Amino acid sequence: MLSSVRSRVLAVAAVVLCGSSCTVANSPAGDAGAAGSTLRVVLAQEPPTLEPCEASLTSTGVVVRSNISEPLLERDAASGELRPLLATAWRQTAPTTWAFDLRGGVTFHNGQPFTAQDAAFSIDRAVNSDLQCNVDGYVFDDDERLRMEVTGDTGLTVHTTKPDPILPLRLSFVEMVPRTTSTTAKVREPVGTGPYAIESWETGVSITLRRNERYWGERPAFPQARYVWRAEPSVRAAMITRGEADLATTLNPEDATEENSVAYPNNETTALRLDGREAPLDDIRVRRAIGMAVDREGIVGTLLAGLAEPAAQLVPDGVVGFNPALKAAPYDPEAARALIREAAADGVPVDRRITLVARNTQFPRVAETAEALQYQLAQAGLNVQIQMADTAAHLEYQLRPFPTDVGPVALLIMHGNQAGDAAFTTSQYLRSDGPQSTFGTPELDARIDQADELAGPARQDAFAAIFADQNQSVAQYVHLAHMRGLLGISRSVRYQPDSATGDELHLAAVRPSAGEAR
Amino acid sequence: MLTFLRKRVVSSAIPLVFVVLGVFCLARLTGNPVNLYLPLSATAEQRAAFSAEHGFDQPILVQLWDYLGQVIQLDFGTSLRTDQPAAEMVLTAFPATLQLAAVTMLIAVAGAVLIGCLAAYRPNSLADRVSSFLSMTAASIPDFWFAIMGVLVFGVSLEWLPTSGVSGGPEVWVLPIATLLIRPFGVLVQVVRGAMVAALSAPYTKVARSKGASEKRVVFGHALRNATTPALTVAGDLTIGLVNGAVVVETIFGWPGIGKLMIDSILQRDFAVLQAAVLLTAITIFLLNIVIDLCYALLDARVRQAVPA
Repeated sequence: MLSSVRSRVLAVAAVVLCGSSCTVANSPAGDAGAAGSTLRVVLAQEPPTLEPCEASLTSTGVVVRSNISEPLLERDAASGELRPLLATAWRQTAPTTWAFDLRGGVTFHNGQPFTAQDAAFSIDRAVNSDLQCNVDGYVFDDDERLRMEVTGDTGLTVHTTKPDPILPLRLSFVEMVPRTTSTTAKVREPVGTGPYAIESWETGVSITLRRNERYWGERPAFPQARYVWRAEPSVRAAMITRGEADLATTLNPEDATEENSVAYPNNETTALRLDGREAPLDDIRVRRAIGMAVDREGIVGTLLAGLAEPAAQLVPDGVVGFNPALKAAPYDPEAARALIREAAADGVPVDRRITLVARNTQFPRVAETAEALQYQLAQAGLNVQIQMADTAAHLEYQLRPFPTDVGPVALLIMHGNQAGDAAFTTSQYLRSDGPQSTFGTPELDARIDQADELAGPARQDAFAAIFADQNQSVAQYVHLAHMRGLLGISRSVRYQPDSATGDELHLAAVRPSAGEAR
Repeated sequence: MLTFLRKRVVSSAIPLVFVVLGVFCLARLTGNPVNLYLPLSATAEQRAAFSAEHGFDQPILVQLWDYLGQVIQLDFGTSLRTDQPAAEMVLTAFPATLQLAAVTMLIAVAGAVLIGCLAAYRPNSLADRVSSFLSMTAASIPDFWFAIMGVLVFGVSLEWLPTSGVSGGPEVWVLPIATLLIRPFGVLVQVVRGAMVAALSAPYTKVARSKGASEKRVVFGHALRNATTPALTVAGDLTIGLVNGAVVVETIFGWPGIGKLMIDSILQRDFAVLQAAVLLTAITIFLLNIVIDLCYALLDARVRQAVPA
């Protein structure tokens, strides 16, 4: 009996070993790609979808935006100016009307020509439809309805319901798709006009793109690009060092060296959002005390490895509305303690437990940062308990409707304004009814509404004043730091990251170190 | 034997049912995934519509009843994240985990038998002490730490192996298998050694020797056969652990298996995929338990006789 069992086991073992000697189940094409002709990118996670109207999600946008599909125009991350893409020119012809001249001779990956009808369809699909696109929620107002008027194959006029001086900037988030695309369901693998088209998506393993040989613009250097994903930052860094990947997103400071990475400002700002509806955080003295109790220099220098700048507002330099006059509150624990004592003397329950909610992996050493904040706030006389959460649990606290019966909450947030205009920040984080704001004031709301309708220097000044007012009269946020990202980059390629790189990694901008086109 | 099998099936199926029901209820206690799937500015009406569309607005018992009704029809739902059928995603990922677990256990068993026998043949010798020390160390090493060190040492410093991934030749298997292997291997060496020490000093071994049997025959023909039963039991439990716990290996090395799929499903509150993955894993563990019990009963008549009719 035993010998019979043993022989069967051995037979099964032989089959398994022979069958598995080379090929891993469900990985028919492998995942690394050949160095040289393939640009190899390692991401932190697999995109859930490549649907263009979800491109404001980092994991989707980093693959899709301006690689597979393209918008009419795009914002230059360095200058902040809009530059032509599928539109060659645009102008405001009336307070609620913008006209766009579209590029001729552009075709989609499926061979269908790109026309104004496709542009109108794409905007309508992303903004006006019931698809519930993230780009709609992030970029356009809830009740915004756009009316499109096609004026020829290359002429498009867009009508807004109210004056919108930054409509072209908003439209830079809307990726163009052919008018044969579904309007009732999101697509997983889209057709676009970009320099690369989807060749294959091996779920769980890799996404491969091939160069669009009919691309209207400059020919990308690499015939193929392949994305893989590794959740562990140490492995992403090791892949760069080892030469298994050319680019790797979001490395940790401890894994980064001058040889395998480059730091860049990524437009992200970290802050504590204080729930002003709950005692003791409903007292502005307590909120101001928290601002003074935080040692930003210490956190930036020690925990963030110097890859950040102490912050005094929710947007970094380069975003319209950034206020250069605002300075981060100095670390002054004694003054913080005095304010807390003053509030306590007036009956504010300063010993009530405050829950500091932070998101795992939101940025490197986020847990240690939360611990430092807890210690510093305790030194000021507050009772703080840390609650680490995953993304879904953190979103429960981040977005309206907020959870009830959870007491006072200080939420550690990281806000990235990739659109480059303070309107996208204030509407979400500062308005009293903003989806990510716990409270505000009617005065601040009115100032935000007025600023939204301004253009040019007046717009800049109005939003700069709003950020100053937040700090002075609302103090919902204790700003921590303007962050910097770390991009892993091998010596075999040349690429200069900019503040948009974390959200849209343009493959066509990557060149081989030796030689040019492949 | 059939009675034994029937009893084992019933006793193993009960935990399976509890696991599936437990995961269903616990997943829903983590909250409605609406925030992950709708835009930031989604209205209350849109949120309500999303909840209604996926049944999240129903009482949990109603949701459970609906789910069980679908499962009976082999409908495991659709992924919220990818819009693909959950069953398809799970069945695609599962073979990669099974491959990994099977190869790992074959190597672990073969190596443990060899080293365990050698160590037990001369107890307290230098070879025995070294193998005991190393196997205890192996059984104690955290797999996450071992995986990262493996990547840094063998991938980056020595450049002998790829850091991760599934393409290429047999070398892609080395680090994932070594990481999965280290703990079961350490445990099995200890078990085989202990069982062999007892077997080699048992009366029947002395009888065999007195009858002139060769040492090879004594060790592998008599002692090992009797030492197999405890080793098989432990190996079965360890195999179940591998199928269930390949999460670290799959996450670190980018292995497209069910462990990684489960973690992603939990983080994304992708309930249909999570439930399908847990169900398939539970069924696999259920079947593995039956197979292990059958092997155990085949090897040891006392086990069969211990089960009342």
